[in-house]
Amino acid sequence: MSTRLEPGGERPAIRFDRVGQVFTSSDGSRVTALDDVSFTLRRHEFVAVIGPSGCGKSTLLRIIAGLVKPTHGQAEIYGLPVAGPREEVGIVFQQPTLLPWLRVRDNVTFPMKHKHGRVSATEKARAEELLEMVGLRDFAHKRPDELSGGMQQRVGIARALLHDPDILLMDEPFSALDALTRDEMSFELLRIWAERPKTVLFITHSIPEALLLADRILVMSARPGRVREIIDVGLARPRSMQTLSEPRFHDLANQIRAQVFRPEALA
Amino acid sequence: MRRTLLNALDRGAPLIAALLLLLIWEAACRLTKVPAYLLPTPSAIVHSAFQVPLSSWLDHTWATLRVSLQGYALAVLIGIPLAVALANSRLLSRALYPQLVIIQSTPIVAVAPIIVVVLGAGDAPRVVITFLITFFPIVVSTVTGLLATPPAMMELSRSLGAGRLRAVRDIQLPFAVPYIFSALRISVTLAIIGAVVAEFVAAENGLGFFIAFSTSFFKVPQAFAALVVLVSLSLALFQLVALTQRLLFPWSLPKTEQ
Ligand SMILES: Nc1ncnc2c1ncn2[C@@H]1O[C@H](COP(=O)(O)OP(=O)(O)O)[C@@H](O)[C@H]1O
Ligand SMILES: [Mg+2]
Repeated sequence: MSTRLEPGGERPAIRFDRVGQVFTSSDGSRVTALDDVSFTLRRHEFVAVIGPSGCGKSTLLRIIAGLVKPTHGQAEIYGLPVAGPREEVGIVFQQPTLLPWLRVRDNVTFPMKHKHGRVSATEKARAEELLEMVGLRDFAHKRPDELSGGMQQRVGIARALLHDPDILLMDEPFSALDALTRDEMSFELLRIWAERPKTVLFITHSIPEALLLADRILVMSARPGRVREIIDVGLARPRSMQTLSEPRFHDLANQIRAQVFRPEALA
Repeated sequence: MRRTLLNALDRGAPLIAALLLLLIWEAACRLTKVPAYLLPTPSAIVHSAFQVPLSSWLDHTWATLRVSLQGYALAVLIGIPLAVALANSRLLSRALYPQLVIIQSTPIVAVAPIIVVVLGAGDAPRVVITFLITFFPIVVSTVTGLLATPPAMMELSRSLGAGRLRAVRDIQLPFAVPYIFSALRISVTLAIIGAVVAEFVAAENGLGFFIAFSTSFFKVPQAFAALVVLVSLSLALFQLVALTQRLLFPWSLPKTEQ
Protein backbone atom coordinates (compact mmCIF):
# COMPACT_ATOMS: atom_id res chain seq x y z
CA MET A 1 0.00 0.00 0.00
CA SER A 2 1.19 3.47 -0.71
CA THR A 3 1.87 6.09 1.89
CA ARG A 4 2.58 9.76 1.51
CA LEU A 5 5.34 11.07 3.73
CA GLU A 6 6.30 14.60 4.45
CA PRO A 7 9.52 14.96 2.52
CA GLY A 8 12.23 15.07 5.15
CA GLY A 9 14.26 18.28 5.21
CA GLU A 10 17.86 17.22 4.77
CA ARG A 11 17.22 13.61 3.97
CA PRO A 12 18.15 12.55 0.47
CA ALA A 13 15.14 11.92 -1.73
CA ILE A 14 16.53 8.63 -2.96
CA ARG A 15 19.41 6.65 -1.56
CA PHE A 16 20.90 3.37 -2.79
CA ASP A 17 23.17 1.62 -0.34
CA ARG A 18 25.14 -1.20 -1.98
CA VAL A 19 22.10 -2.38 -3.89
CA GLY A 20 22.40 -5.60 -5.83
CA GLN A 21 19.85 -7.43 -7.91
CA VAL A 22 20.26 -11.02 -9.00
CA PHE A 23 17.49 -12.53 -11.11
CA THR A 24 17.07 -16.28 -11.11
CA SER A 25 15.25 -17.50 -14.16
CA SER A 26 13.05 -20.59 -14.20
CA ASP A 27 15.87 -22.73 -15.61
CA GLY A 28 17.99 -21.84 -12.61
CA SER A 29 20.44 -19.58 -14.41
CA ARG A 30 21.27 -16.32 -12.64
CA VAL A 31 21.67 -12.84 -14.04
CA THR A 32 23.27 -10.11 -11.99
CA ALA A 33 21.39 -7.03 -13.15
CA LEU A 34 22.85 -4.66 -10.55
CA ASP A 35 25.97 -5.04 -8.47
CA ASP A 36 26.90 -2.93 -5.48
CA VAL A 37 25.15 0.23 -6.62
CA SER A 38 25.34 3.20 -4.26
CA PHE A 39 24.28 6.78 -4.89
CA THR A 40 22.04 9.47 -3.48
CA LEU A 41 19.67 11.91 -5.11
CA ARG A 42 19.14 15.19 -3.31
CA ARG A 43 15.64 16.48 -3.08
CA HIS A 44 14.55 18.16 -6.33
CA GLU A 45 17.67 17.14 -8.12
CA PHE A 46 17.53 16.10 -11.77
CA VAL A 47 19.69 13.05 -12.36
CA ALA A 48 20.11 11.24 -15.65
CA VAL A 49 21.15 7.59 -15.82
CA ILE A 50 23.04 6.50 -18.88
CA GLY A 51 24.46 3.13 -19.80
CA PRO A 52 24.40 0.37 -22.39
CA SER A 53 21.24 -1.66 -22.91
CA GLY A 54 20.76 -4.45 -20.41
CA CYS A 55 22.97 -2.84 -17.77
CA GLY A 56 20.11 -2.71 -15.27
CA LYS A 57 18.73 0.80 -15.70
CA SER A 58 15.10 -0.30 -15.76
CA THR A 59 15.75 -2.62 -12.83
CA LEU A 60 17.16 0.31 -10.86
CA LEU A 61 14.00 2.29 -11.60
CA ARG A 62 11.77 -0.62 -10.62
CA ILE A 63 13.55 -0.88 -7.29
CA ILE A 64 12.90 2.78 -6.51
CA ALA A 65 9.31 2.36 -7.66
CA GLY A 66 8.89 -0.48 -5.17
CA LEU A 67 8.07 -2.97 -7.93
CA VAL A 68 11.17 -5.10 -7.33
CA LYS A 69 12.72 -5.82 -3.97
CA PRO A 70 16.51 -5.79 -4.30
CA THR A 71 18.29 -9.02 -3.42
CA HIS A 72 21.17 -7.13 -1.76
CA GLY A 73 21.56 -3.83 0.04
CA GLN A 74 18.90 -1.25 0.64
CA ALA A 75 16.99 1.39 -1.32
CA GLU A 76 15.50 4.31 0.58
CA ILE A 77 13.12 7.13 -0.18
CA TYR A 78 13.29 10.04 2.25
CA GLY A 79 15.33 7.86 4.58
CA LEU A 80 12.86 4.99 4.72
CA PRO A 81 13.41 1.62 3.07
CA VAL A 82 11.26 1.16 0.00
CA ALA A 83 8.66 -1.44 0.93
CA GLY A 84 6.34 -1.07 -2.04
CA PRO A 85 4.88 1.44 -4.48
CA ARG A 86 4.43 4.89 -2.97
CA GLU A 87 2.04 7.71 -3.60
CA GLU A 88 4.65 10.43 -4.16
CA VAL A 89 6.31 8.57 -7.02
CA GLY A 90 5.26 9.00 -10.65
CA ILE A 91 6.55 6.65 -13.33
CA VAL A 92 6.91 6.96 -17.08
CA PHE A 93 7.53 3.43 -18.33
CA GLN A 94 9.82 2.48 -21.17
CA GLN A 95 6.74 1.28 -23.11
CA PRO A 96 3.87 3.79 -23.00
CA THR A 97 1.60 1.08 -21.51
CA LEU A 98 -1.66 2.82 -22.30
CA LEU A 99 -4.93 0.98 -21.92
CA PRO A 100 -6.41 0.54 -25.40
CA TRP A 101 -10.02 0.52 -24.18
CA LEU A 102 -9.75 3.96 -22.60
CA ARG A 103 -9.75 7.25 -24.43
CA VAL A 104 -6.61 9.34 -24.17
CA ARG A 105 -8.07 11.60 -21.45
CA ASP A 106 -9.21 8.60 -19.42
CA ASN A 107 -5.77 7.07 -19.73
CA VAL A 108 -4.35 10.23 -18.18
CA THR A 109 -6.78 10.10 -15.26
CA PHE A 110 -6.51 6.32 -14.95
CA PRO A 111 -4.24 6.40 -11.86
CA MET A 112 -6.93 8.20 -9.87
CA LYS A 113 -9.73 6.03 -11.18
CA HIS A 114 -7.72 2.91 -10.43
CA LYS A 115 -6.65 3.91 -6.94
CA HIS A 116 -9.72 5.70 -5.69
CA GLY A 117 -12.46 4.44 -7.98
CA ARG A 118 -13.35 7.96 -9.08
CA VAL A 119 -11.86 11.02 -10.73
CA SER A 120 -12.55 14.50 -9.32
CA ALA A 121 -13.42 17.49 -11.50
CA THR A 122 -10.08 19.10 -10.56
CA GLU A 123 -8.20 16.05 -11.76
CA LYS A 124 -10.18 16.00 -14.99
CA ALA A 125 -9.32 19.64 -15.61
CA ARG A 126 -5.70 18.96 -14.80
CA ALA A 127 -5.65 16.09 -17.29
CA GLU A 128 -6.83 18.46 -20.03
CA GLU A 129 -4.11 20.94 -19.04
CA LEU A 130 -1.45 18.24 -19.17
CA LEU A 131 -2.66 17.04 -22.55
CA GLU A 132 -2.47 20.60 -23.82
CA MET A 133 1.06 20.81 -22.44
CA VAL A 134 2.22 17.66 -24.25
CA GLY A 135 0.56 18.93 -27.42
CA LEU A 136 -2.29 16.44 -27.52
CA ARG A 137 -5.30 18.58 -26.65
CA ASP A 138 -7.02 17.64 -29.90
CA PHE A 139 -6.48 13.95 -29.26
CA ALA A 140 -8.09 13.77 -25.82
CA HIS A 141 -11.09 11.84 -27.13
CA LYS A 142 -9.09 9.41 -29.29
CA ARG A 143 -8.12 5.87 -28.44
CA PRO A 144 -4.42 5.11 -27.95
CA ASP A 145 -4.16 2.98 -31.11
CA GLU A 146 -5.09 6.04 -33.17
CA LEU A 147 -1.91 7.75 -31.93
CA SER A 148 1.69 7.40 -33.07
CA GLY A 149 4.26 5.82 -30.74
CA GLY A 150 5.64 9.23 -29.83
CA MET A 151 2.19 10.59 -29.04
CA GLN A 152 1.44 7.56 -26.88
CA GLN A 153 4.61 8.15 -24.91
CA ARG A 154 3.52 11.77 -24.32
CA VAL A 155 0.19 10.51 -22.96
CA GLY A 156 2.24 8.33 -20.60
CA ILE A 157 4.14 11.40 -19.44
CA ALA A 158 0.91 13.34 -18.82
CA ARG A 159 -0.41 10.37 -16.84
CA ALA A 160 2.70 10.27 -14.63
CA LEU A 161 2.39 14.00 -13.92
CA LEU A 162 -1.30 13.92 -13.02
CA HIS A 163 -0.86 13.72 -9.25
CA ASP A 164 2.11 16.11 -9.38
CA PRO A 165 4.51 13.53 -7.95
CA ASP A 166 7.39 14.67 -5.80
CA ILE A 167 9.60 12.00 -7.35
CA LEU A 168 9.41 11.38 -11.07
CA LEU A 169 10.98 8.25 -12.55
CA MET A 170 11.32 8.23 -16.32
CA ASP A 171 12.54 5.22 -18.29
CA GLU A 172 13.80 6.36 -21.70
CA PRO A 173 10.66 8.43 -22.09
CA PHE A 174 11.70 10.19 -25.28
CA SER A 175 13.24 7.25 -27.13
CA ALA A 176 10.17 6.82 -29.35
CA LEU A 177 10.07 10.51 -30.31
CA ASP A 178 11.59 12.06 -33.41
CA ALA A 179 14.55 14.39 -32.84
CA LEU A 180 12.53 17.61 -33.05
CA THR A 181 9.76 16.55 -30.70
CA ARG A 182 12.42 15.18 -28.43
CA ASP A 183 14.12 18.57 -28.01
CA GLU A 184 10.75 20.23 -27.59
CA MET A 185 9.73 17.73 -24.90
CA SER A 186 13.07 18.11 -23.14
CA PHE A 187 12.57 21.84 -22.73
CA GLU A 188 8.95 21.27 -21.71
CA LEU A 189 10.12 18.84 -19.03
CA LEU A 190 12.66 21.38 -17.77
CA ARG A 191 9.93 24.01 -17.62
CA ILE A 192 7.67 21.70 -15.58
CA TRP A 193 10.54 20.80 -13.31
CA ALA A 194 11.43 24.48 -12.73
CA GLU A 195 7.79 25.39 -12.11
CA ARG A 196 6.97 22.51 -9.78
CA PRO A 197 10.29 21.28 -8.43
CA LYS A 198 10.59 17.52 -8.13
CA THR A 199 13.27 14.89 -7.86
CA VAL A 200 13.73 13.39 -11.30
CA LEU A 201 15.51 10.18 -12.24
CA PHE A 202 15.72 10.13 -16.01
CA ILE A 203 17.00 7.07 -17.87
CA THR A 204 18.28 7.70 -21.36
CA HIS A 205 20.48 6.37 -24.13
CA SER A 206 21.30 9.81 -25.40
CA ILE A 207 24.32 11.65 -24.05
CA PRO A 208 23.21 15.09 -25.36
CA GLU A 209 19.79 14.57 -23.81
CA ALA A 210 21.32 13.70 -20.43
CA LEU A 211 23.58 16.75 -20.58
CA LEU A 212 20.79 19.08 -21.59
CA LEU A 213 18.50 17.97 -18.77
CA ALA A 214 20.43 16.81 -15.75
CA ASP A 215 22.29 18.24 -12.77
CA ARG A 216 24.28 15.05 -12.53
CA ILE A 217 24.73 12.03 -14.74
CA LEU A 218 25.09 8.53 -13.40
CA VAL A 219 27.14 6.54 -15.91
CA MET A 220 26.64 2.78 -15.64
CA SER A 221 28.78 -0.04 -16.93
CA ALA A 222 27.54 -3.07 -18.80
CA ARG A 223 26.64 -6.33 -17.05
CA PRO A 224 26.78 -6.56 -14.19
CA GLY A 225 25.37 -3.05 -13.84
CA ARG A 226 27.62 -0.90 -11.71
CA VAL A 227 27.95 2.83 -11.26
CA ARG A 228 31.02 3.74 -13.22
CA GLU A 229 31.03 7.44 -12.55
CA ILE A 230 28.77 10.24 -11.41
CA ILE A 231 29.35 13.38 -13.42
CA ASP A 232 28.47 16.91 -12.33
CA VAL A 233 27.05 18.62 -15.37
CA GLY A 234 27.42 22.17 -14.09
CA LEU A 235 25.94 23.81 -17.17
CA ALA A 236 24.11 27.04 -16.40
CA ARG A 237 20.32 27.00 -16.02
CA PRO A 238 17.92 27.67 -17.56
CA ARG A 239 19.21 25.52 -20.34
CA SER A 240 18.36 26.40 -23.90
CA MET A 241 19.40 25.65 -27.46
CA GLN A 242 22.53 27.70 -26.71
CA THR A 243 23.51 25.15 -24.09
CA LEU A 244 24.06 22.66 -26.90
CA SER A 245 26.86 24.78 -28.37
CA GLU A 246 28.77 25.52 -25.16
CA PRO A 247 32.32 24.16 -25.10
CA ARG A 248 31.68 22.45 -21.75
CA PHE A 249 28.76 20.59 -23.32
CA HIS A 250 31.08 19.07 -25.91
CA ASP A 251 33.84 18.30 -23.45
CA LEU A 252 31.42 16.46 -21.18
CA ALA A 253 29.84 14.65 -24.10
CA ASN A 254 33.25 13.35 -25.15
CA GLN A 255 34.14 12.42 -21.59
CA ILE A 256 30.96 10.41 -21.14
CA ARG A 257 31.28 8.78 -24.53
CA ALA A 258 34.74 7.61 -23.55
CA GLN A 259 33.32 6.25 -20.27
CA VAL A 260 30.47 4.40 -21.89
CA PHE A 261 32.69 2.78 -24.49
CA ARG A 262 35.66 2.12 -22.21
CA PRO A 263 36.44 -1.60 -22.23
CA GLU A 264 35.31 -3.42 -19.09
CA ALA A 265 38.85 -4.67 -18.33
CA LEU A 266 40.06 -1.15 -17.69
CA ALA A 267 37.15 -0.15 -15.51
CA MET B 1 -24.65 1.49 -65.85
CA ARG B 2 -22.49 -1.61 -66.09
CA ARG B 3 -20.95 -0.56 -62.82
CA THR B 4 -24.20 -0.35 -60.88
CA LEU B 5 -25.32 -3.66 -62.29
CA LEU B 6 -22.12 -5.34 -61.19
CA ASN B 7 -22.43 -3.68 -57.83
CA ALA B 8 -25.97 -4.94 -57.32
CA LEU B 9 -24.84 -8.39 -58.39
CA ASP B 10 -22.01 -8.24 -55.88
CA ARG B 11 -24.28 -7.30 -53.01
CA GLY B 12 -26.97 -9.74 -53.96
CA ALA B 13 -24.53 -12.59 -54.50
CA PRO B 14 -25.20 -14.55 -51.30
CA LEU B 15 -28.97 -14.34 -51.76
CA ILE B 16 -28.79 -15.28 -55.44
CA ALA B 17 -26.54 -18.22 -54.66
CA ALA B 18 -28.92 -19.43 -51.94
CA LEU B 19 -31.92 -19.19 -54.26
CA LEU B 20 -30.05 -21.03 -56.97
CA LEU B 21 -29.12 -23.77 -54.55
CA LEU B 22 -32.75 -24.16 -53.47
CA LEU B 23 -33.79 -24.34 -57.13
CA ILE B 24 -31.23 -27.03 -57.84
CA TRP B 25 -32.37 -28.92 -54.74
CA GLU B 26 -36.00 -28.69 -55.82
CA ALA B 27 -35.20 -29.74 -59.40
CA ALA B 28 -32.95 -32.61 -58.34
CA CYS B 29 -35.57 -34.02 -55.97
CA ARG B 30 -38.31 -33.82 -58.59
CA LEU B 31 -36.17 -35.32 -61.35
CA THR B 32 -34.83 -38.20 -59.27
CA LYS B 33 -38.18 -38.70 -57.56
CA VAL B 34 -36.60 -39.11 -54.13
CA PRO B 35 -39.38 -39.90 -51.65
CA ALA B 36 -40.25 -36.96 -49.38
CA TYR B 37 -39.51 -39.01 -46.23
CA LEU B 38 -35.90 -39.28 -47.35
CA LEU B 39 -35.27 -35.82 -48.75
CA PRO B 40 -38.19 -33.42 -49.11
CA THR B 41 -38.20 -30.61 -51.68
CA PRO B 42 -37.92 -27.03 -50.39
CA SER B 43 -41.47 -26.37 -51.48
CA ALA B 44 -42.70 -29.38 -49.50
CA ILE B 45 -40.87 -28.08 -46.43
CA VAL B 46 -42.52 -24.67 -46.75
CA HIS B 47 -45.86 -26.31 -47.31
CA SER B 48 -45.54 -28.50 -44.23
CA ALA B 49 -44.45 -25.53 -42.13
CA PHE B 50 -47.83 -23.92 -42.77
CA GLN B 51 -49.63 -27.14 -41.81
CA VAL B 52 -48.42 -26.72 -38.25
CA PRO B 53 -50.38 -24.07 -36.32
CA LEU B 54 -48.45 -20.90 -35.47
CA SER B 55 -49.18 -21.30 -31.75
CA SER B 56 -47.50 -24.68 -31.85
CA TRP B 57 -44.41 -23.22 -33.55
CA LEU B 58 -44.23 -20.46 -30.95
CA ASP B 59 -44.63 -22.99 -28.17
CA HIS B 60 -41.76 -25.19 -29.32
CA THR B 61 -39.51 -22.26 -30.20
CA TRP B 62 -40.08 -20.65 -26.84
CA ALA B 63 -39.34 -23.89 -25.00
CA THR B 64 -36.01 -24.29 -26.78
CA LEU B 65 -35.12 -20.62 -26.44
CA ARG B 66 -35.99 -20.60 -22.73
CA VAL B 67 -33.79 -23.58 -21.94
CA SER B 68 -30.92 -22.32 -24.12
CA LEU B 69 -30.89 -18.89 -22.54
CA GLN B 70 -31.13 -20.22 -19.00
CA GLY B 71 -28.26 -22.64 -19.54
CA TYR B 72 -26.24 -19.98 -21.32
CA ALA B 73 -26.84 -17.36 -18.62
CA LEU B 74 -25.83 -19.87 -15.97
CA ALA B 75 -22.66 -20.70 -17.92
CA VAL B 76 -21.76 -17.00 -18.20
CA LEU B 77 -22.57 -16.22 -14.57
CA ILE B 78 -20.53 -19.15 -13.26
CA GLY B 79 -17.93 -19.37 -16.04
CA ILE B 80 -16.56 -15.83 -15.96
CA PRO B 81 -16.08 -15.52 -12.16
CA LEU B 82 -14.58 -19.02 -12.14
CA ALA B 83 -12.19 -17.95 -14.91
CA VAL B 84 -11.16 -14.91 -12.88
CA ALA B 85 -10.46 -17.15 -9.90
CA LEU B 86 -8.53 -19.67 -11.99
CA ALA B 87 -6.44 -16.98 -13.68
CA ASN B 88 -5.49 -15.40 -10.38
CA SER B 89 -4.82 -18.43 -8.24
CA ARG B 90 -2.22 -20.97 -9.20
CA LEU B 91 -3.48 -23.28 -6.48
CA LEU B 92 -7.07 -23.15 -7.66
CA SER B 93 -6.15 -23.63 -11.30
CA ARG B 94 -3.95 -26.60 -10.39
CA ALA B 95 -6.77 -28.08 -8.36
CA LEU B 96 -9.68 -27.46 -10.74
CA TYR B 97 -8.27 -27.51 -14.24
CA PRO B 98 -8.03 -31.31 -14.49
CA GLN B 99 -11.66 -31.60 -13.38
CA LEU B 100 -12.71 -29.11 -16.01
CA VAL B 101 -10.84 -31.00 -18.69
CA ILE B 102 -12.55 -34.20 -17.61
CA ILE B 103 -15.96 -32.54 -17.84
CA GLN B 104 -15.09 -31.23 -21.27
CA SER B 105 -13.81 -34.61 -22.46
CA THR B 106 -17.03 -36.30 -21.40
CA PRO B 107 -19.51 -36.53 -24.27
CA ILE B 108 -22.38 -34.63 -22.69
CA VAL B 109 -24.80 -36.33 -25.08
CA ALA B 110 -23.95 -39.61 -23.42
CA VAL B 111 -24.43 -38.20 -19.95
CA ALA B 112 -27.70 -36.49 -20.82
CA PRO B 113 -29.93 -39.53 -20.07
CA ILE B 114 -28.30 -39.90 -16.66
CA ILE B 115 -28.86 -36.23 -15.90
CA VAL B 116 -32.50 -36.61 -16.85
CA VAL B 117 -32.87 -39.58 -14.54
CA VAL B 118 -31.24 -37.71 -11.69
CA LEU B 119 -33.04 -34.40 -12.12
CA GLY B 120 -36.40 -35.70 -13.29
CA ALA B 121 -38.73 -33.99 -15.73
CA GLY B 122 -39.08 -30.30 -16.41
CA ASP B 123 -36.63 -27.64 -17.48
CA ALA B 124 -33.98 -28.37 -14.84
CA PRO B 125 -32.18 -31.30 -16.54
CA ARG B 126 -32.28 -29.53 -19.91
CA VAL B 127 -30.84 -26.34 -18.45
CA VAL B 128 -28.07 -28.34 -16.79
CA ILE B 129 -27.21 -30.14 -20.04
CA THR B 130 -27.10 -26.82 -21.90
CA PHE B 131 -24.95 -25.35 -19.16
CA LEU B 132 -22.47 -28.22 -19.34
CA ILE B 133 -22.06 -27.81 -23.09
CA THR B 134 -21.66 -24.01 -23.10
CA PHE B 135 -19.68 -23.50 -19.94
CA PHE B 136 -16.29 -24.88 -20.89
CA PRO B 137 -15.49 -22.65 -23.89
CA ILE B 138 -16.40 -19.61 -21.81
CA VAL B 139 -14.08 -20.56 -18.97
CA VAL B 140 -11.17 -21.50 -21.23
CA SER B 141 -11.40 -18.43 -23.45
CA THR B 142 -11.81 -16.06 -20.50
CA VAL B 143 -8.84 -17.56 -18.66
CA THR B 144 -6.76 -17.25 -21.84
CA GLY B 145 -7.72 -13.59 -22.18
CA LEU B 146 -7.06 -12.77 -18.54
CA LEU B 147 -3.65 -14.44 -18.65
CA ALA B 148 -2.77 -12.69 -21.90
CA THR B 149 -2.85 -9.31 -20.13
CA PRO B 150 0.55 -7.73 -20.84
CA PRO B 151 2.77 -7.81 -17.73
CA ALA B 152 3.49 -4.11 -18.30
CA MET B 153 -0.18 -3.31 -17.68
CA MET B 154 -0.19 -5.34 -14.50
CA GLU B 155 2.97 -3.54 -13.42
CA LEU B 156 1.26 -0.20 -14.05
CA SER B 157 -1.49 -1.31 -11.71
CA ARG B 158 0.98 -2.47 -9.10
CA SER B 159 2.94 0.79 -9.31
CA LEU B 160 -0.26 2.63 -8.42
CA GLY B 161 -0.63 0.52 -5.30
CA ALA B 162 -4.12 -0.61 -6.26
CA GLY B 163 -5.28 -3.98 -4.98
CA ARG B 164 -5.62 -7.24 -6.85
CA LEU B 165 -9.39 -6.88 -7.23
CA ARG B 166 -9.01 -3.49 -8.86
CA ALA B 167 -6.40 -4.90 -11.24
CA VAL B 168 -8.90 -7.57 -12.28
CA ARG B 169 -11.71 -5.06 -12.73
CA ASP B 170 -9.81 -2.22 -14.41
CA ILE B 171 -7.19 -4.10 -16.39
CA GLN B 172 -7.55 -7.88 -16.72
CA LEU B 173 -11.26 -8.06 -17.49
CA PRO B 174 -11.30 -5.21 -20.04
CA PHE B 175 -8.26 -6.74 -21.68
CA ALA B 176 -10.06 -10.08 -21.91
CA VAL B 177 -13.23 -8.64 -23.47
CA PRO B 178 -12.39 -9.71 -27.04
CA TYR B 179 -11.62 -13.24 -25.79
CA ILE B 180 -14.79 -13.35 -23.71
CA PHE B 181 -16.94 -12.28 -26.63
CA SER B 182 -15.46 -14.77 -29.01
CA ALA B 183 -16.46 -17.43 -26.47
CA LEU B 184 -19.89 -15.88 -25.96
CA ARG B 185 -20.57 -16.02 -29.70
CA ILE B 186 -19.59 -19.67 -29.96
CA SER B 187 -21.37 -20.62 -26.76
CA VAL B 188 -24.69 -19.10 -27.72
CA THR B 189 -24.93 -21.45 -30.69
CA LEU B 190 -23.74 -24.31 -28.48
CA ALA B 191 -26.57 -23.42 -26.11
CA ILE B 192 -29.10 -24.19 -28.84
CA ILE B 193 -27.34 -27.50 -29.51
CA GLY B 194 -27.43 -28.25 -25.80
CA ALA B 195 -31.14 -27.59 -25.54
CA VAL B 196 -31.90 -29.73 -28.60
CA VAL B 197 -29.81 -32.63 -27.32
CA ALA B 198 -31.66 -32.43 -24.01
CA GLU B 199 -34.97 -32.41 -25.82
CA PHE B 200 -33.99 -35.50 -27.80
CA VAL B 201 -33.50 -37.33 -24.51
CA ALA B 202 -36.59 -36.25 -22.63
CA ALA B 203 -39.05 -33.49 -23.33
CA GLU B 204 -42.64 -32.87 -24.23
CA ASN B 205 -41.98 -29.71 -26.18
CA GLY B 206 -39.21 -27.74 -27.88
CA LEU B 207 -37.89 -27.79 -31.44
CA GLY B 208 -35.61 -30.74 -30.75
CA PHE B 209 -38.52 -32.70 -29.38
CA PHE B 210 -40.59 -31.63 -32.41
CA ILE B 211 -37.93 -32.92 -34.82
CA ALA B 212 -37.71 -36.26 -33.01
CA PHE B 213 -41.50 -36.47 -32.91
CA SER B 214 -41.91 -35.57 -36.61
CA THR B 215 -39.31 -38.04 -37.86
CA SER B 216 -40.78 -40.86 -35.80
CA PHE B 217 -43.99 -40.34 -37.78
CA PHE B 218 -42.03 -39.98 -41.04
CA LYS B 219 -43.07 -36.34 -41.29
CA VAL B 220 -39.66 -35.48 -42.63
CA PRO B 221 -40.63 -32.18 -44.33
CA GLN B 222 -41.96 -30.99 -40.97
CA ALA B 223 -38.69 -31.96 -39.29
CA PHE B 224 -36.83 -29.95 -41.91
CA ALA B 225 -39.07 -26.97 -41.24
CA ALA B 226 -38.19 -27.19 -37.54
CA LEU B 227 -34.53 -27.38 -38.50
CA VAL B 228 -34.89 -24.14 -40.46
CA VAL B 229 -36.39 -22.47 -37.40
CA LEU B 230 -33.52 -23.79 -35.25
CA VAL B 231 -30.89 -22.46 -37.62
CA SER B 232 -32.62 -19.08 -37.74
CA LEU B 233 -32.78 -18.97 -33.95
CA SER B 234 -29.11 -19.83 -33.68
CA LEU B 235 -28.11 -17.19 -36.23
CA ALA B 236 -30.27 -14.55 -34.54
CA LEU B 237 -28.69 -15.21 -31.14
CA PHE B 238 -25.20 -15.17 -32.65
CA GLN B 239 -25.90 -11.81 -34.27
CA LEU B 240 -27.39 -10.49 -31.03
CA VAL B 241 -24.18 -11.28 -29.15
CA ALA B 242 -22.12 -9.69 -31.94
CA LEU B 243 -24.34 -6.61 -31.83
CA THR B 244 -23.98 -6.37 -28.05
CA GLN B 245 -20.22 -6.35 -28.45
CA ARG B 246 -20.40 -3.73 -31.20
CA LEU B 247 -22.61 -1.46 -29.09
CA LEU B 248 -21.00 -1.87 -25.67
CA PHE B 249 -17.35 -2.56 -26.52
CA PRO B 250 -16.64 -1.15 -29.99
CA TRP B 251 -12.93 -0.87 -29.19
CA SER B 252 -12.71 -4.63 -28.70
CA LEU B 253 -13.46 -5.35 -32.37
CA PRO B 254 -10.72 -5.79 -34.93
CA LYS B 255 -9.89 -2.49 -36.64
CA THR B 256 -11.64 -3.49 -39.88
CA GLU B 257 -14.96 -4.06 -38.12
CA GLN B 258 -15.12 -0.93 -35.97
N1 LIG C 1 12.20 -9.91 -14.14
C1 LIG C 1 13.39 -10.31 -14.63
N2 LIG C 1 13.74 -11.62 -14.60
C2 LIG C 1 14.93 -12.04 -15.07
N3 LIG C 1 15.85 -11.23 -15.62
C3 LIG C 1 15.57 -9.92 -15.69
C4 LIG C 1 14.32 -9.39 -15.22
N4 LIG C 1 14.32 -8.04 -15.42
C5 LIG C 1 15.51 -7.76 -15.99
N5 LIG C 1 16.26 -8.88 -16.16
C6 LIG C 1 17.62 -8.93 -16.71
O1 LIG C 1 18.41 -7.98 -16.04
C7 LIG C 1 19.25 -7.29 -16.92
C8 LIG C 1 19.00 -5.80 -16.85
O2 LIG C 1 17.75 -5.51 -17.40
P1 LIG C 1 17.17 -4.02 -17.47
O3 LIG C 1 17.13 -3.47 -16.11
O4 LIG C 1 15.88 -4.06 -18.21
O5 LIG C 1 18.26 -3.26 -18.35
P2 LIG C 1 18.21 -1.88 -19.15
O6 LIG C 1 16.95 -1.18 -18.75
O7 LIG C 1 19.43 -1.15 -18.76
O8 LIG C 1 18.23 -2.21 -20.60
C9 LIG C 1 19.00 -7.87 -18.29
O9 LIG C 1 19.99 -8.85 -18.55
C10 LIG C 1 17.66 -8.51 -18.17
O10 LIG C 1 17.54 -9.61 -19.03
MG1 LIG D 1 15.35 -0.54 -19.88
